[in-house]
Amino acid sequence: MPKKMQLKYEWNVAYRIEHWVHVASMIVLIFTGFYIHWPFFGGGPESQIMAWMRFLHFLSMYTLLIGLVLRIYMSFNSRFDADWRDFSVIQNLKGVPEMIAYYTFLKDKHTEYRKYNPLQAFTYLSWAGIIILQALTGFALYSGDFFGLFSSQAAFGWLNRLLGGESHTRVWHFLIMWYFIITAVVHVYMSLLQTLVKRDRTFQSMFTGYKLSSATGKKR
Amino acid sequence: MRKEHGLATRDLVDRLRYSGVGRRDFLKFCGLTAGLLGLSEAYIPRIANALEKGTKRPPVVWLNFASDTGCTESLIKATYPNAADLVLDILSVDYNETIMAAAGQQVEEILQKSLKEGNYILVIEGGIPTKHGYGMIAGKDMMDIAKEFAPKAIAILAVGSCATYGGVPAANPNPSAIKGVADVLGPAYKGKIVNLDLCPVNVEVLVAVVVNYLLFKKLPELDSFGRPKTFYGQLIHDNCERRAHFDAGRFVEKFGTEEEALGHCLYKMGCKGPMTHAPCPKIMYNDRVSWCIKAGAPCIGCGEQGWTDKFAGFYERLPGVSIPGFKGVEFTADKIGLAAGAAAAIGIAAHALGSTKRIKKGGEE
Repeated sequence: MPKKMQLKYEWNVAYRIEHWVHVASMIVLIFTGFYIHWPFFGGGPESQIMAWMRFLHFLSMYTLLIGLVLRIYMSFNSRFDADWRDFSVIQNLKGVPEMIAYYTFLKDKHTEYRKYNPLQAFTYLSWAGIIILQALTGFALYSGDFFGLFSSQAAFGWLNRLLGGESHTRVWHFLIMWYFIITAVVHVYMSLLQTLVKRDRTFQSMFTGYKLSSATGKKR
Repeated sequence: MRKEHGLATRDLVDRLRYSGVGRRDFLKFCGLTAGLLGLSEAYIPRIANALEKGTKRPPVVWLNFASDTGCTESLIKATYPNAADLVLDILSVDYNETIMAAAGQQVEEILQKSLKEGNYILVIEGGIPTKHGYGMIAGKDMMDIAKEFAPKAIAILAVGSCATYGGVPAANPNPSAIKGVADVLGPAYKGKIVNLDLCPVNVEVLVAVVVNYLLFKKLPELDSFGRPKTFYGQLIHDNCERRAHFDAGRFVEKFGTEEEALGHCLYKMGCKGPMTHAPCPKIMYNDRVSWCIKAGAPCIGCGEQGWTDKFAGFYERLPGVSIPGFKGVEFTADKIGLAAGAAAAIGIAAHALGSTKRIKKGGEE
């Protein structure tokens, strides 16, 4: 343990579960999504492989959406850590140049933030946005009805018109997924890097909840 | 032919019997139409009644604009019950440039008479060039003819994808600026125009819409593309006869293979069935003999607005994406994704290299 660092309870159980549920459903979504885009292996004679892939795809999207709703609820109402202030766009914009300078090796140190640095905050905020976008485009592509109440086309068909037809909705749905894949890979890389550079157990903290902290961080 | 024998004056059933269609066949046709419209069998006699009142049927004026007359072709190939003429009789077509026997002055008189009397069902086949001089009949721009005939029509049926949104003639680069009927006539005609998409139009759908009008004196409920919901409410994919193969993950990878012979799903051959709302799998074509996917061809999505451009290439899963700044260059979504992914990987690798210094430093702290 490097000097002047102490254990800090960073993530409570709810945040950790939420994180891993999102990871699991995202992995399922990406895998089944690629399969639906281009079925790269066939099923056996009695298989219902594509039907299962689609079922899992829809199921994990619902899981993800419910997770997002809970996450938004927690960020306002969590007794442990209601962190919605950390996502303030205006506050974070000021910190962006410094973070970019840090990550491009133009600066050696950056301001310590309470929980997320500005780039992190923007990325996570964008994830909330793209989950909603993926849900909307997904529902627009989905043909069926919701509990027999209304059809997906009646509810979300406007989006197809806006984007120029279902084929274009499909392209957007696909490209937005790539945005997520790339940012998620960067996310994993950054957490590993942080763990290695600062030796602060960032990576482990999403399992244990505890992280090493040298400073109390900037107050918001 | 019949009209030369003076049969046009007799009532419909007599005329049908003359051309070999019995009463039973006629009622079968009425039952079929009732089924198409989702009406109960109690409506069959009413449909028969509506059709038999020959003199009260509104005349149909059929205008041909920029198209390959495939819809007319589809119309005269309708054989249920077994007479192509049945459909023509039901429609009571007064004017159709492609198939009418009369010509010149004689037929122009009929057309002008219809125009004067009004209350006709106006069927428009083909897109409408909006540039002067690009599509003219008897010295008149097609656009002007459409605007001349539209106000007095009781209903306007845009048949085929050319008439609805331009179709093939309006495909990029569209030099004559062809537009669909609804776009040319403007919002004043909203609710009066029925778009019967598909290339060519499905005749049974056309007849059903006309019969619906004869029965109820109103047009069917339309979706946001102006198409009757009854017929264009569902995806081809959801009613496809090959759907079981899709769910089971059995796909044709290449034409000329065993999978193709076994009739597997054409998804990977670029089938646009999952994006196209049309009644093809149910109603089919040519007297319900076959349709594209049954015949082994992937759907090209001809029932959707702007299909020629947005669904090209027809054998690709997704359309190409043009990126602003690269005019005329199209990338597939896969390539864009992979390129962005590769760029991110390179970025991470470079950053990791740069960070080794920091890692050493961090260790010393």
